[in-house]
Amino acid sequence: MSKALKERALFLLPLVSFVALLLLLPVVGTFWNSLWQDVPFIARRFVAFSNYVQLIKDPQVWQSTLFTILFAVVSVCLEMVFGMVTALVLNTRTRMRGLLRGIALIPWAIPSVIGARVWQLIYRYDYGIANIMLSQIGIEPVNWLGTPVGAFVALVLADVWRTTPFVAIILLAGLQTLPDDILQQAQIDGAGLFQRFFRITIPMIRPIMIVAVLFRTIDALRVFDLIYIITGGGPGGTTAPLSMYGYKFFLNGDFGYGSAVSVLLFIIALLFVALYVKVGRLRAE
Amino acid sequence: MKEQQKKRLLELTGICFVLGFCLLPFIWMVIISLSERPDFLLHNEFALTLANFIDIVTIQNLHFLDYLKNSMVIASISALLSTLIGALAAYAISRISFRGKTLLIVSVLGLSMFPQICIVGYLYKMMTGLEMINTHGALILPYIAWSLPLSLWIQMSYFSRIPKELDKAAQVDGASRLQTLFRIILPIAAPGFLSTMLLLLMFSFNEFLFALMLTSDHAARTVPVGISLFQGLHGELPWGYIMAASVISCIPVILIAIIFQRRIIQGLTQGAVK
Repeated sequence: MSKALKERALFLLPLVSFVALLLLLPVVGTFWNSLWQDVPFIARRFVAFSNYVQLIKDPQVWQSTLFTILFAVVSVCLEMVFGMVTALVLNTRTRMRGLLRGIALIPWAIPSVIGARVWQLIYRYDYGIANIMLSQIGIEPVNWLGTPVGAFVALVLADVWRTTPFVAIILLAGLQTLPDDILQQAQIDGAGLFQRFFRITIPMIRPIMIVAVLFRTIDALRVFDLIYIITGGGPGGTTAPLSMYGYKFFLNGDFGYGSAVSVLLFIIALLFVALYVKVGRLRAE
Repeated sequence: MKEQQKKRLLELTGICFVLGFCLLPFIWMVIISLSERPDFLLHNEFALTLANFIDIVTIQNLHFLDYLKNSMVIASISALLSTLIGALAAYAISRISFRGKTLLIVSVLGLSMFPQICIVGYLYKMMTGLEMINTHGALILPYIAWSLPLSLWIQMSYFSRIPKELDKAAQVDGASRLQTLFRIILPIAAPGFLSTMLLLLMFSFNEFLFALMLTSDHAARTVPVGISLFQGLHGELPWGYIMAASVISCIPVILIAIIFQRRIIQGLTQGAVK
């Protein structure tokens, strides 16, 4: 008995202690800290839910919540479309398939900060290549990062570039499980290329599509790097996601309010997961 | 065969689209890193130079090589340890029956769902308390914890496909569980181990928020933080330096992505599909 116990401890204790001390404890600690006033130079004091009351009254919290959700929804939708196209391409039988797949991984594999820097330069008003290309076809230069709408579009595009490979790889795994004979039979029965795609491929890989949407939504809701670099939350806080708003408080040493903002972000993520689980179940029935 | 042609045409368009979409921003980065000025398009004169590369490697107070070294040390140690710890746990979960197994799996995976911002504030206080701020350890420890759910998840699916008779046979021959794992199971699951480690290597190399919060200078700062902090003399960003540093930092990652694309894709899909 004690030997069996020792054996289990040997295998599981490293994982359990890392997860408990460096994931669970910080998460619980953040919830706990959100109930305190904890700013530099003033003694820490318990304030119960007053950080949350302040949260509701804070217009930037509403702005950030709206932005975070809108950004996640729009980017994930676009990423599913681009990801599907990429997955179909990666699934074709060409000689260069391995290299093609490796290249398709690049935007996702390189550090997101680096990708963000490149896009920041592309969007520059005066000599960014986006505006230079637009002017070549006679379109007025766009103030990408200086206007709320321009910045939103710019950020979504950059995010789509970075995460399309991830979506494509997940969907590719789904495409590879499709039995060839069903698609061939449909072709013999006279179903066209697009008909086969919309009537057979999509319904058959729907479960995996839901997985991709779920993973991506969780990830898009916590977006930080990309926006920190490209707009820094500007102009005027219109593109500051909740994670960045919370970070600003941590940076200034306000751990109580920063924690409350973090908890809000977690609750939003949880609501999305619950929604997908419910939708996924309904569809399955 | 009209449909065959239509399909071929669609495929070719698709390949061009994917290549252009993925590579153009990257190519732009390389061009700027080799250009004397970032705004050469306005003046229509491109001057090729290696000065940006030479500068970021030789100018001491840019600390780029320090950042690169920190990144490599931190990423490789945390990826290796996380893969090992994940392998131990995945082995126990796939081989030994014990109470609370489902709870363990669900809670570990559930914790990976939390946004990083929900733990970074507390981690900052914790590392300050331990006087570990701005050390390699301040990043290695959280990176291990943060990547463990993925490490566990991927390796669980690899291990569950290895027949349990192998374990039985080894134990009949007198091997302990630990010996069985290292002598029998891990060699068979080596591709899974490698896939997991490569993915975790990339995650740790790319991570930004923890590194931004938990480091304060070149003693522990990693490449992403370094690249986010490059400042010019007069407020103008030194684009040449930024892009040269980016190119150098991307080389190892891109080599890994192209050489091991099959492994990486396998690891990712093991983690996601199921």
